[in-house]
Amino acid sequence: MKTRISIWIVFMVAFSAFLLSAVTKEVYNYSSTTPLKLEVPKGWPKPLNIFAGNPLTEEGFQLGRKLFYDGRLSKDGNFSCASCHQQFAAFATYDHDFSHGFNDQFTTRNAPGLFNLAWTRLYHWDGGINHIEVQPLSPLTAPNEMAENVDSVLQRLRADAEYRRMFREAFGKGDINSQKMLKALAQFTGTLVSANSKYDKVKRGEDQFNPSELHGYEVFKEKCEHCHKEPLFTDNSFRNNGLPLNTYLKDYGRMRITGNPEDSLKFRVPSLRNVSVTQPYMHDGRFYSLGQVIEHYRTGIQQGPTLDSSLRKGIQFTKLEKYDLILFLGTLKDTSFLNDKRFSHP
Amino acid sequence: MMIKKNGSIRLITLLLIVTVSFQKKEIKKRDSFATVKIVFNNTVKNSRIYLYDSTYTNPFGEKYTITKFRYYVSDIFLKSTIKNAAEKNSYHLIDQGNVESQSFSFPVAPGDYTSLNFLLGVDSLHNVSGAQTGALDPTKDMFWTWNSGYVMAKLEGNSPSSTLVNNKFEFHIGGYAGEYNVLKNIQLSFPEDKPIYFASNKTITIIINADVNAWWHNPNEIKIAEHANITSPGKLALAISDNYKNMFHIEKIITGN
Repeated sequence: MKTRISIWIVFMVAFSAFLLSAVTKEVYNYSSTTPLKLEVPKGWPKPLNIFAGNPLTEEGFQLGRKLFYDGRLSKDGNFSCASCHQQFAAFATYDHDFSHGFNDQFTTRNAPGLFNLAWTRLYHWDGGINHIEVQPLSPLTAPNEMAENVDSVLQRLRADAEYRRMFREAFGKGDINSQKMLKALAQFTGTLVSANSKYDKVKRGEDQFNPSELHGYEVFKEKCEHCHKEPLFTDNSFRNNGLPLNTYLKDYGRMRITGNPEDSLKFRVPSLRNVSVTQPYMHDGRFYSLGQVIEHYRTGIQQGPTLDSSLRKGIQFTKLEKYDLILFLGTLKDTSFLNDKRFSHP
Repeated sequence: MMIKKNGSIRLITLLLIVTVSFQKKEIKKRDSFATVKIVFNNTVKNSRIYLYDSTYTNPFGEKYTITKFRYYVSDIFLKSTIKNAAEKNSYHLIDQGNVESQSFSFPVAPGDYTSLNFLLGVDSLHNVSGAQTGALDPTKDMFWTWNSGYVMAKLEGNSPSSTLVNNKFEFHIGGYAGEYNVLKNIQLSFPEDKPIYFASNKTITIIINADVNAWWHNPNEIKIAEHANITSPGKLALAISDNYKNMFHIEKIITGN
C-alpha cells in the first residue's frame, strides 16, 4: 500500500512538472549533473546570490575551468584568462604592473587577484561590471587584451568535440551559446574561495601568530581595518587613497562609470588576502613592495577634493609598526588556495 | 505520518487539477486568439533608409549617411479597457540591417484595444542579471563590456560635419539607472483614439514608423559638428533619448485577414 502511494506521488509530481514546464520559460537541462555547493567559510557574511539562474554543478565548474585555461578564447590563441590570472599569484599577474595582451600591447590597469568573488558586488577597479557572468566579455573583446569577438570563440568551441560533450553534460542538449559559456566561466571563478591562510587558522584556533605578527595585527586593526575590513579584508567600497593622477593613463577610476565628479580618482579597495603574492600594487601597479605602499600612506598622500576623509593626515607608522604590519600581511597568504589542484590547469 | 501523506496527496492532486485545467484553458484560448503583427518601418522623414547608400540632411543642414540603426523594443502590450494583452518574454532588437528583425507576431485575446505600448530599451533588471540570450545575447553587439548594461538604441554613420576620424558619428544610447536612465515608455494610441476590435483567428497588422530625424531635435538640439560621439551613459545620452522617444507613430493598421 505504502509503495503504491509513493509510486503514485512520484508519478503525479513528475506529470505536474511536465505540464508546468510546457507553459514556463525554457531552461537548460541539469538532470544529469552533479550539484556543487559554494563553500562559505565559518563566520563570513552571507555571499551574494551570484549563482541565481546558474545552478552550480561539477560539470559546469569543470567546463568553466577548461575555458579559463584555454588560449583559444583569444584572437591569436595566446591569451587565456589564466595568462593574466595566474594561480600562484592568487590569480593576479605575478610581478607585472600591466599584463601583456594581443600584439605586444599592455593592459591599462593592474590585473587584480581572483578570489572570494561571491562576496564582491561590483567588479573591476572602477566597479564597471555589475555581474560576474558578464565580466569575461570585457577582457575577451578588449583590443589590447584577448582582442577577440564572442562569435568567433563560439565557432571554435562548436567545432571541438570535447567542448560539445562538456557543454552537453553541463547544460543538456542544444547549441553552444554565449550564455552557457559565460555561466560556466562564472561557476569556475565564482567558486575560487580563499579562506585558509595562517590568519584563518589562527582565527579557528589551529595556529598562533608569532609576537611580530600579533603586533602587526594590532597595527592593522588600528590603522587599516577601516577600509580593509575583516574577514574579506575589503569593504568593497571605492575610495580615493591619495595617489597622484597617473599622467600617462589619465585614469580617473570610478568617475568613468558614474559620470559623477565626486567619484574622481576613486578605485576599488582591494582585498589584502594573498597580498604578499599579488605585487605590484594599486590600479596601475605603481608600487612594487608593501613597504612602498605603507610609505605612500605615511608620506605620499596627495590632498584633493575627493580624497578619503580618513586619509587627510596620512597614516602614521613607526619603523617597527611598518615591518610588523608587513609580517602580519604575510599571514594572509593562503598556500592551499595557491596550490589547490581543483583550480589548476586541467 | 499517514495523515501527513494523505495531506500531501490531496495537495498534489489539487495542483494537478489546477495545472491541467489551466493548460486546457490555455489551449482552448489559443485556438480562438487574434494575432497581432507588428512591423517597424524605419525612415528619415519620409525617405526609406538605405544603409551606407543614401544621404540625408538633419534639421541643422548637416548631411549624413547611416551605417547602423538598431533599437530594443520590449514589454510590448496592447491596452484594453478590460484586460491588457501582453507579449510573453517580450524582447526584440529592431535592426535596420536585418529585415527579419523588423516584424514579429504574437497572439492576443479577442477584444477592443486602444493603444500599442512598449518600452524603448531593456528593463533595468535585465541589465544587472548576468548573461542573457536571444535578442539580449551580448553577441548582438548591444552590450557594453566595460560598463555593464545594454545600449538601448544605436545610430552610426558618416557626416562631413563630423570632426572625428573618417568623418564618423556614433550614438550608443544607454543607461538604466539613476538620473541618466534613458528607458522610455512609448504609448501609440490608435488613430483618432478609437478602439479597434481584434477578432479571433484574424491577423491585425500594426505598421509603426520610426523616424531617425527625431534624434536631432525636439526638445534637445544635437549637432554632429558639436557631438559626433555619444557612446556612454550621461547627460548627452539622456538628451538624445528625450528626442528619440518621439520618433514613433502608427503609420497604418490593417485589420483585414
